[in-house]
Amino acid sequence: MVPFESIWTQVAPLVARAERPSRYINREWGCVYKPDADFRFCMIYPDTYELGQANQALRILVNAVNAQPGMAAERGFLPAPEMCDALRAAGLPMFSIESCAPLAAFDAIGITLPHELAATNVLEAIDLAGLPLRALDRAEDDPLVLGGGPCAYNPEPYAPFFDAINIGEGEQSLPEGLAVIRDMRQQGATRRDIWRALARLDGWYVPALYRWRTAEEAQAAGSWIEPAEEGVPTTIVKRLFDGFATSSGWEPCIVPFAEAVHDRLNVEILRGCARGCRFCQAGMMYRPVRERSADNVVDAVVRGLAETGYDEVSLTSLSTTDHSQIADILERLNRHYEGTGVRISIPSQRLDSFGARMADLVAGQKKGGLTFAPEAGTQRLRDVINKNVTEDDLFGAVDAAFAAGWRRCKLYFMVGVPTETDEDVKGIARLVQQVYDHAKAIVPKEQKGSIQISASVALFVPKAHTPFQWCGQIAPEEALRRVNLLRHSVKYRAVSVSWHDPKTSFVEAVMSRSGREAAALVEGAWRRGARFDAWSECFREDAWRAAADEQGIDVEAVAQTGYPTDYVLPWEHISCGADRRWLAREHDLALREETTPDCTFGRCSGCGVCMKLGTDNQLAGERHD
Amino acid sequence: MTDPNAPRVFRLRATFIERDRLAMLSHLEVAHALERTVRRAGLPFAVSQGFSPHMKIAFGAALPVGVGSTCEIFDLQLREYVAADKALAALQQASVPDLMVQDCSYIENNAPAASVAFPFSTYEVRFDAPVSAVVVPETITVVRKRKEKTLVVSEFLTEPFTFDGDRATFTLEAKPTGSLRPDVLLQHCDCAADIVSITRIAQTA
Repeated sequence: MVPFESIWTQVAPLVARAERPSRYINREWGCVYKPDADFRFCMIYPDTYELGQANQALRILVNAVNAQPGMAAERGFLPAPEMCDALRAAGLPMFSIESCAPLAAFDAIGITLPHELAATNVLEAIDLAGLPLRALDRAEDDPLVLGGGPCAYNPEPYAPFFDAINIGEGEQSLPEGLAVIRDMRQQGATRRDIWRALARLDGWYVPALYRWRTAEEAQAAGSWIEPAEEGVPTTIVKRLFDGFATSSGWEPCIVPFAEAVHDRLNVEILRGCARGCRFCQAGMMYRPVRERSADNVVDAVVRGLAETGYDEVSLTSLSTTDHSQIADILERLNRHYEGTGVRISIPSQRLDSFGARMADLVAGQKKGGLTFAPEAGTQRLRDVINKNVTEDDLFGAVDAAFAAGWRRCKLYFMVGVPTETDEDVKGIARLVQQVYDHAKAIVPKEQKGSIQISASVALFVPKAHTPFQWCGQIAPEEALRRVNLLRHSVKYRAVSVSWHDPKTSFVEAVMSRSGREAAALVEGAWRRGARFDAWSECFREDAWRAAADEQGIDVEAVAQTGYPTDYVLPWEHISCGADRRWLAREHDLALREETTPDCTFGRCSGCGVCMKLGTDNQLAGERHD
Repeated sequence: MTDPNAPRVFRLRATFIERDRLAMLSHLEVAHALERTVRRAGLPFAVSQGFSPHMKIAFGAALPVGVGSTCEIFDLQLREYVAADKALAALQQASVPDLMVQDCSYIENNAPAASVAFPFSTYEVRFDAPVSAVVVPETITVVRKRKEKTLVVSEFLTEPFTFDGDRATFTLEAKPTGSLRPDVLLQHCDCAADIVSITRIAQTA
């Protein structure tokens, strides 16, 4: 067993030479130290400090575990590439932030899976911790390696690397799982016995206890996993933190020294979004919708700013301006912070004049750019994806925004959405130009030159647990053709189109659509040097391609193959609560260009989440269109 | 001429230490951290007017990354008078131990800024073994903004090295045209022992 002690004296000379020492030095305001704890957990973000420090899961789960008597939680971040190499060269392992202790000295480590391009970093972290990559190869006293987060909804490409994977919200299920590990270790239980106990807890998936079926077997059996022993569940249903709405919006947080992304107070004002966009995985994963009350949110902001010293707060959620009391919240905060220099921000706004009004409430005099996401250029295609907004909504938003003083507006679109035609692509150009015309009609003559409208275009990626999970992605050449068609269709010089060459999109597709066979691909890519795939300067396409060749995986086919809705997909043993028949019906409605309303504004759409999880939408007031 | 209608401000000068691992913070990181400390302390700081309002706070001469200090300075403008000992207590309550405010006192509104008021900095260097001499080069060539610049050490090193066991002290003068960093000077000195730490121990006029 690796002793739990600080390795700072060995690490310090490397930190002194590192690119940004403040990534590694700890001692920030708000750190929690529990030297007397008898159980130690390290929560890892599989990327560098400045990307991970703002991560919500890290903050929430470290707090949740530290709230348990006798349990201590620390943070861990993957060192930057050069620092990973320097540590290896010096024979030093990856370490936690608070105690600077080797990861292998912890009882359990948790790694959040934030997006599809973090897989090789998961392996980099496990390896740099000095642990065997695969759960089956780990020794009895090695820490349990736990996974979770958005990408856990298709856990199979990561499955062999984790002892157990938490599905859904971890506020309660992580402390429960850790308590099982602690109690059983104290009793001298074997690793396998701990797996068995975890597999019997709600929301925990233990991949090693299941055999992976062949495609043929899976289609016949209706599931890709076969329990290898009695008593383990065949479906793992996500866990829900049902107390979210009434829990305090003030969640103690650490104030970093290093300049981190989203370096401000984040108050999560609501969780879940029921708008039902058919491409959106978050909209399916975080149901039902739960709002924290205006009183709760305002108290949380006031207390949070006072305790952290931040001068900016972001009211976070998937759809902040949908909160039933958002106007009240923003007006109260504005009054409270007038003249103090405190900034209030909302991450996205509803695509209508109400959304623009809310943005205006918090923008003050400083009006940078405003962002809206129509996603598709024609009403037909917006109906397909169930983006329930009309051109009038968009123009209403634009009119309100430019009248309020904004001069820059960015619009997000996707190409490659199922059923998309060239007319839809040209529709993007038409719509963006109409937006410019609206802006021009409102802005005073002498300021017309300052109007900037930009369209940012992304490639559609089919995501697990969405109505489009059965759909294939278009080929990269076709994507490029459509983007060029869009570019040529835009005639206005004041309108710009931005498009990032999606070199990594085949990795995203493989990670979001594959079964357990993709784990060997991830390992092969990592062994060939792939890591930090999300950093464009680090992405090693050759490593991924060579690994795919070695495994005989046709990555283009994985990305582009479509399936009928009765095809059993490799993640169907994981349930986000939404009924597969409902997802299939939504898929069919999409093809018929029929929309489904948001159940927080009207009647139930029958997704099945509330029934399955024994819950309901929890709104703080009535929502109004 | 000062505007007679301008609201009265109170200029509080605080000194703080920067030690141990936090010596690795950059000047900008320290500045951000102190602004947040002031906010946490709940002091009635003045805010600039205009497009992008911000706290009226000014920092002393930058400390190189890796160099600690027992005598850093920031000046804060307050809208209301707060007794210096009360301000100190509030700031200490809001500080982390290794970036700790040590002293607060009011200064005249027209007193020179902390960044120019104290051009002489005395540093203490600790070695991993007793040292009784170092060989100081006559000139040091540094690269600034991709341009090479040759500094004559004697123009900056106003107090030569004095030795006491494994410690040595020396004083450098910051010039309006530029300055010689203490860590750079030490890198270029010939010495029998390795450096354990460098600390700024005094800033003087």
